[in-house]
Amino acid sequence: MSDHGYPHEITGVETRKLGMWVFLSTEILFFGTLITTYLIFKGRSFDGMRLEDVYDIPFTSVSSFVLLMSSLTMVLAHNAIEKSDQERTNIWLLSTALLGAVFLAGQIYEFTEFYHKGFTLDVNIYGSTFYVLTGFHGAHVFIGVVLLLILWGIGVRQEGLSLEGGMNLEFIALYWHFVDIVWIVLFTVVYLI
Amino acid sequence: MIEQKREKKFLTIFRRPSSETGIWSWITTVDHKKIGIMYGYAAFLFLLLGGLEALFLRIQLSQPDNNFLSAAEYNAMFTMHGTTMVFLAIMPISAAFFNYLLPLQIGARDVAFPRLNALSYWIWVFGGLFLYSTFIFGTAGAPQGGYLAEEIGWLGRAPNGGWFGYQPNAGFQYSPGTAMDYWAIGLQILGISSLVSAFNFITTILNMRAKGMRLMRMPVFTWMTFAVAFLLAFSLPIIAIALFFVTFDRQFGTTFFLVEGGGDPVLWQHLFWLFGHPEVYILILPAFGIVSEVLPTFSRKPLFGYAAIVFAGFGIAFIGFGVWAHHMFASSISTVAQAGFGISTMIIAVPTGVKIFNWLGTIWGGKLNLKTPMLFALGFIAMFVIGGLSGVTHSIVPADTQQTDTYYIVAHFHYVLFGGAMFGIFSGLYYWFPKLWGKMYNERLGQLHFWFMLIGFNLTFGPMHWLGLQGQIRRTWVYAEETNLGFWNLISTIGAFIIAISILLFMINWSYSKRKGPKAPMDPWDARTLEWTIPSPTPTWNFSTPPEVHNLDDFWHKKYDEDNEGRAVRKEGADEYVEELERDGLNPKSTIELPNPSYFPFVLSSGLPFLGYAVIYKSLAFLGIGLILLLIGGFGWAIEPLEEHIVGEEEE
Amino acid sequence: MNDPHKPHPTPKQYVQIAIVLGVLTAIEVALYYTEDIVGIFTDPLLMILAIGKFVIVVGWFMHLRFENKLVNRFFVGGMILALFLFAIVMLERASGNYF
Repeated sequence: MSDHGYPHEITGVETRKLGMWVFLSTEILFFGTLITTYLIFKGRSFDGMRLEDVYDIPFTSVSSFVLLMSSLTMVLAHNAIEKSDQERTNIWLLSTALLGAVFLAGQIYEFTEFYHKGFTLDVNIYGSTFYVLTGFHGAHVFIGVVLLLILWGIGVRQEGLSLEGGMNLEFIALYWHFVDIVWIVLFTVVYLI
Repeated sequence: MIEQKREKKFLTIFRRPSSETGIWSWITTVDHKKIGIMYGYAAFLFLLLGGLEALFLRIQLSQPDNNFLSAAEYNAMFTMHGTTMVFLAIMPISAAFFNYLLPLQIGARDVAFPRLNALSYWIWVFGGLFLYSTFIFGTAGAPQGGYLAEEIGWLGRAPNGGWFGYQPNAGFQYSPGTAMDYWAIGLQILGISSLVSAFNFITTILNMRAKGMRLMRMPVFTWMTFAVAFLLAFSLPIIAIALFFVTFDRQFGTTFFLVEGGGDPVLWQHLFWLFGHPEVYILILPAFGIVSEVLPTFSRKPLFGYAAIVFAGFGIAFIGFGVWAHHMFASSISTVAQAGFGISTMIIAVPTGVKIFNWLGTIWGGKLNLKTPMLFALGFIAMFVIGGLSGVTHSIVPADTQQTDTYYIVAHFHYVLFGGAMFGIFSGLYYWFPKLWGKMYNERLGQLHFWFMLIGFNLTFGPMHWLGLQGQIRRTWVYAEETNLGFWNLISTIGAFIIAISILLFMINWSYSKRKGPKAPMDPWDARTLEWTIPSPTPTWNFSTPPEVHNLDDFWHKKYDEDNEGRAVRKEGADEYVEELERDGLNPKSTIELPNPSYFPFVLSSGLPFLGYAVIYKSLAFLGIGLILLLIGGFGWAIEPLEEHIVGEEEE
Repeated sequence: MNDPHKPHPTPKQYVQIAIVLGVLTAIEVALYYTEDIVGIFTDPLLMILAIGKFVIVVGWFMHLRFENKLVNRFFVGGMILALFLFAIVMLERASGNYF
């Protein structure tokens, strides 16, 4: 509401940005619970297939690198819109979405391979915790890619994002980076340790 | 005069709705006051349903070896009673208060994200309807040796694994059928609603306060809203995950809670109570806030120790995350954990005690005005202290292992949740009644309500203390004649019906007075906070000029001075000042922009039950419909023009 | 976007940060393969590297270093709570009981 007489955002942080950060802190609890559950069971002695029997570290490393780089393109897109360089913004937005899609494709390929080898969702607790954890992460990436594409689409259609669109870019960027840092933790905790 | 103003906005597909009256205005509203009222009525309806379920339970228990309800029906009734009261009655009634009052108390026009606010409401409604649709579509059964689904009447078709759904009892093996899926998915949907509200309120309190309304000048009710929002924001994600685990275990073959698959049933308990304990503070803090408003007003004294009460509230919220395993003392947690959680549970009694003493300090030496809101606030203190004392006895681990799963525990939580939260809520309902409707409720009926409720409540739950210690077990549909528990159980049942009568008195008072009650002045209680500085019923635009605040209890300072002995002396022009406020409040002199209504929160929320049905019945059709509704809702929302409509005269 | 805050890093600096992230990832992967040599230091090192990457993305890409303190506190507060609960649960697991 643009109301004169009301102090504009007492805290000095734009309202929607504040809302997004609060939302992200709830997501910390969300993924925190998933990761904790994963770690509770990791390493327990129980018969049956484990992730270690089927994974492919080089492949996942490349995937992780791709997602990391998508954070770079995201921040470059943000940088571009701040300078009102609409063309660059669009390019970087699309790149981020594509890199995100490549990551997802990699995940899907990986999971299909695992399934063929017998490491399924319902094989045992390791399947349960692995797929639900990485699955939720993947779902978040998917939503992020959709949001990025929508924003890119609006930018192309309108020949540039308005001030409003620029704000939205900032929020989507925050969301996207968050999805990336969750993966940073996931990759280490699930695959490497 | 109200006009539409359209900003030039690309991609305009729909006009935003514009009805001011009628059912569409309610379905598309983003006005926090209307949303609050809708929450209140719907929650009250569920309160009645939950109460009915309780009456069934009490009838069954009024005699030993009774067969009014079968075992299956009994399980369904106590599960639904608990689930309804917690998630569909107390939480949304609190939400009604937050929604209606928060912007008023901080001097704002609306919350930070009005459409998101509407979304919270509609998601909640659809979640509640989805949960209750179990009575129509749900099936419940028991594994071999138990009862068959076909033998259970419709009363038993509801979730029957307790409101806490312990695994694996509530899993697919021991709770076949669809009822527990309705429970898990229903709660999941309800959780989303509260989570969205939480960050809406946090952002609102931080960013939308009026000029001069520093944090330490906010009313205590606002502070408690703040604390509740944090509790919701950080505890709901945990239960969301836990409920996903339950649904996945039941539907998709995962083994989170199944020992045969390497899982662990105790994990569910940890996750549930990690949410569940903050949840009970979510249930009680609003009442703490309400009582902190009522007591000063009706004692004609400022709140004793404002800062202490604020910090204690946050202390409770924070420590509340560290006591969860006191619900699990009998569940094979390590002795270290038992000791640790026993200590933290004792510690959390301290900030609570601080608040009680501060409330007593407020009343002490005050000029008490014993109207209905005050009676309920006083009743709250008494009942909550009793409940709190029994709570402290639970913190002693060896004692708790005797008390656990007996009626002693049932007594405890009903004293804090009913004697505490509900009494606080009734206090608030009567206190703010005139603000909502511009009419005054009937004081006589209000007093009758209070006394019937107090007596009925104590008759119902008082005996449960000793019934529990004598060995009556919870969640059990019969007790044998030889146990000699019959007499007090009968008293308890009689008490329950007295409670029912008191609720009827309330309903009569409310519905009659809101239409035919005497007109209430703007500030009937001579109160302290900003919501009393605007006309009753509250105008759509709340404040015609944004308020400017210079003190805690600013309104009081505008009406009263302090004499040499610190007593309040009414200022010379106080009455005229109040009249002037009312006149100005009704006639905004400059333009005021209010957010336009919207269809899309309603549309978006309507998709969620379909997703729920899709999971239960493995139906691609339902999945499709649900996703489409979500997409239309979300997409329409995103491209909807951010128009506002103007009230008041046009500026030149 | 119009908040008065310190200037953003330039694109060049962002690329440099990205290179640092890439290098850290490479070290992580290398650690995985050299587990025999590094021994018990592997896991702690991996965690340190992951935390390092986490802090870099949050601080620079998400701009938290340059943001209002309030926003900082929310995020850090959420992290502290999550870590605290995680610690208690893992301690309970370590105690060896059923769970």
